[in-house]
Amino acid sequence: MDDTRPRPGDEVVAQVSGIVEGVFAGLKPLLAAAETLLAEPGDTTGPDLDRLRPQVVEQLAGLVVGAGFIAAPGLLADQEFGFEWWTASGGGTPTQLFISLDPTSEYFLDYTRQSWFTVPRDTGRRHITGPYVDYLCTDEYTLTFSLPVNGAAGFAGVVGADVFVREFEHTTLPKLRTLAMARDGRAALVNAQGRVIVSTASRQATGSLVRELDIPAWWTTGEESLACPGTTLRRCGDAPIALLVTAD
Amino acid sequence: MVRRMSHGARAALFAPLDQTGRVEAVTRRLVDAITLGLLADAEQLPAETDLAAQLGVSTVTVREALVALRQLGLVETRRGRGGGSFVRTPADSPMAPWRERLRAVSLADLRDVGDQYTAVAGAAAKLAAERSSADDLARLELAAEDIRAATGPAASRAERHFHLEVAAAAQSPRLTHQELLLQGEQGGLLWLPITHRTDDRPDDRGEHREAGYAVHAAIVTAIGHGDGELARKLTEEHILDAIDRLVVLHLELIDP
Repeated sequence: MDDTRPRPGDEVVAQVSGIVEGVFAGLKPLLAAAETLLAEPGDTTGPDLDRLRPQVVEQLAGLVVGAGFIAAPGLLADQEFGFEWWTASGGGTPTQLFISLDPTSEYFLDYTRQSWFTVPRDTGRRHITGPYVDYLCTDEYTLTFSLPVNGAAGFAGVVGADVFVREFEHTTLPKLRTLAMARDGRAALVNAQGRVIVSTASRQATGSLVRELDIPAWWTTGEESLACPGTTLRRCGDAPIALLVTAD
Repeated sequence: MVRRMSHGARAALFAPLDQTGRVEAVTRRLVDAITLGLLADAEQLPAETDLAAQLGVSTVTVREALVALRQLGLVETRRGRGGGSFVRTPADSPMAPWRERLRAVSLADLRDVGDQYTAVAGAAAKLAAERSSADDLARLELAAEDIRAATGPAASRAERHFHLEVAAAAQSPRLTHQELLLQGEQGGLLWLPITHRTDDRPDDRGEHREAGYAVHAAIVTAIGHGDGELARKLTEEHILDAIDRLVVLHLELIDP
């Protein structure tokens, strides 16, 4: 779009874009550390992943409450599955996550079906999963930012960072509210599937899907924005999040 | 390597208990954890004082529960340096403790667990129908396929995983948490990998599995169509069927 005049929602778009790019940029040192570790001669084992701990724990600041490296199945020499994942919220002490990694265990949950793993694996690109219930880790409503990690044999896993939806809301809702009031309507942030992340309207609640517009179809067109009577939809920069403003 | 359990399941395992029937409750929770494989064979239990603090009971209560577990052969206590209580997963008949629990359960309690589980899983199915994206549906379909493929303890796991996915598709951390809690305690009974009379007639197993798959596939279809009322109804009926099987089994197990 050539029109560079300020538009309503610019502040929201800039803020969301800033948050997203900040989280992904923050993951770069962890990505580099993981790829360096995997590039070392010889096999990589589960215990070797402990060496990523400083870069993992470093992630746990600001909105990021969980972070780590998740290995692709078969990557490690001594175990099928493996990861180095730590969580900390509200400035608390970082805690390492342990979940069942034994496929024969009663409580094993296969992480290779989760979008934060499959999308970077299948597309080679960064991804934001959610909002979704993260029953593997914190049982919280979460956004997971993930990047593919490459080893000698291609895809080797992902590095990722978790942001709780409630914290994302606390950060973004003030500007959304200002926008909604100025437009005399409601404003929401939605993901590429049309799922509401934050909204100023109780009947357009977090977690619900926007049905009035086919947002997944619009997303695949690559259009920067969509305007129809009473509704505007606009991408937040390169983030897979859009701003939806609806007149009441 | 050390077998590790789900974060949520571990949280449920070590959540504080009511003060009533504490020894029995602690014993039952640990029996469940061991027979379900939440605690791995040879895994060392926390020290008595730590376990007591985590469960919110006295050390004496924990000690008595450990005596009961030793008598059941599910825990071994070693003295001295490097000593402590260690899990012993029964090798021969992993379902034996479940049969004992099913024999000991009251039908009134079973009905009550069924009521709570129906409320949670039914509501989750309805909300999942309203809120599932294409990704959610794809995962639900995979989880239903797992049920068709699984037998024995893997079937129980697949069943519980399916309901966990439905709760997650409902976008509700609280319903998901309730689902995990129920699966971790009494509700675990619901998805026992034992079904009525199939022990006598092995031929029924495959048939039962297909029927089980059909029910789950129908729930996924209802969710996919956005038909919340149907998804809820099918889920409720599915749970009532599971309760029916347990009641029949209970009646077979009780002493004359």
